[in-house]
Amino acid sequence: MTAKQFFKSTAFKSLAVLIVIVLAAGALLAVCNDLLYISEEERFARSIERIYGKPVQTEEIALTEEQSTYESGTVESVYFVPDDGNYLLQTTGNGGYDSGSVTLWTVLTCSGTREDGTLRLTGIDRVVYESNEKQSAISSLTSAYYEGFTQYDDLVAEGGLFTAEKNGSGDLNHLVAGATRSSVAACNAVNTALTCFRTVLTGGAA
Amino acid sequence: MNRYVKTAYDGLITNNATFKLVLGTCATLAMSTSAVNSFGMGLSVTVVLLLSNVVISLLRKVIPNTVRIPAFIVIIATMVTLLRMVLEKYIPSLYDAMGVFLPLIVVNCVILGRAEAFASKQPVLDSAIDGLFTGLGLTFALTLIGVIREFLGSGSFFGIKVMDFSIGFFTNSAGAFFVYGICIALFVLATGQIEKRARAKRARALRRPPEGPLDPPEDGSAEKEVQ
Repeated sequence: MTAKQFFKSTAFKSLAVLIVIVLAAGALLAVCNDLLYISEEERFARSIERIYGKPVQTEEIALTEEQSTYESGTVESVYFVPDDGNYLLQTTGNGGYDSGSVTLWTVLTCSGTREDGTLRLTGIDRVVYESNEKQSAISSLTSAYYEGFTQYDDLVAEGGLFTAEKNGSGDLNHLVAGATRSSVAACNAVNTALTCFRTVLTGGAA
Repeated sequence: MNRYVKTAYDGLITNNATFKLVLGTCATLAMSTSAVNSFGMGLSVTVVLLLSNVVISLLRKVIPNTVRIPAFIVIIATMVTLLRMVLEKYIPSLYDAMGVFLPLIVVNCVILGRAEAFASKQPVLDSAIDGLFTGLGLTFALTLIGVIREFLGSGSFFGIKVMDFSIGFFTNSAGAFFVYGICIALFVLATGQIEKRARAKRARALRRPPEGPLDPPEDGSAEKEVQ
């Protein structure tokens, strides 16, 4: 086959058309991606809207890598909410299905202030789902499950941590049948928030 | 019947993607837990179907037959990605609710099916009407299933609580199959009855003698012509 025959062949035409379509589609998506870009600030504002139902003012608290990493998970960010005096923590819990994770927002209620060293954990105000990795059964964790974390303030204030064990007992054993591994990751996310608060924010006093 | 009206009627009723062709079942069963989600999914598929049908119809004489399927997939995937971006930006609640089923619209057989069977052979306007009404037929079917499942499974209607009574069975997969099956049966029964009546009407019209006198004119002019 000569070069002239090749350029006139159906194979070349097919290839050329396909490449042109792919390039045009790629260019269109690149432009739209730029036009419809969602900034980190916008994402955070949306999360706040989902957690509180309205925009609230927050003050970010910077943590070192050592202060953010725990056996149960990682603290992504910590905020102080001046409106109600609570602390808002975004944490990722390990140990999910297929070594995946669950990221949650946890609002911790407290008494005292950080400045004078009297900060004490009094309970969990709310837990809101953010995202997950590899958790195919995450939809089994309904809003009622997340609300369940807020029912045991006394035990939480005393230093308790949540567990998700099959046939486990105790008020803080919190799992959904059929989504045990995702429950483990969710519990680990909340436990990470509790541990961070107790060890970092209160300076180990709680 | 006008061909545009016929195309629209086919998309909505005769070839209803969900109830007659039983296409896109995976998304139908998964997304119909609530009426709002079902409606959102239906509209999303409608938008993708409309846009992809128009683009494929425009390019039908350019795309060689040998690479038509990969070309259609690229076009459909582009439309779905575009829709994802728009939903994430402007309707994040629907974007979150649809989850993994939004990107999976790419492999929804309704869209590829209409592209292959209709848009790749028909003019742009016909393809647009086909895409729009096939999508609306799918939206109607999905919303109907969603309303039934939400009402029986959660006791609410489009998110508004209307009764305390609820049956958990309808919120899970088995309930989805049950409602889907019942809806298909009722839809086929209803459309079957309508078609039967239309056929009977046509048959009566054919048997009826044509209007106007068939007898020879009384003045004998017909006989004169024969002679």
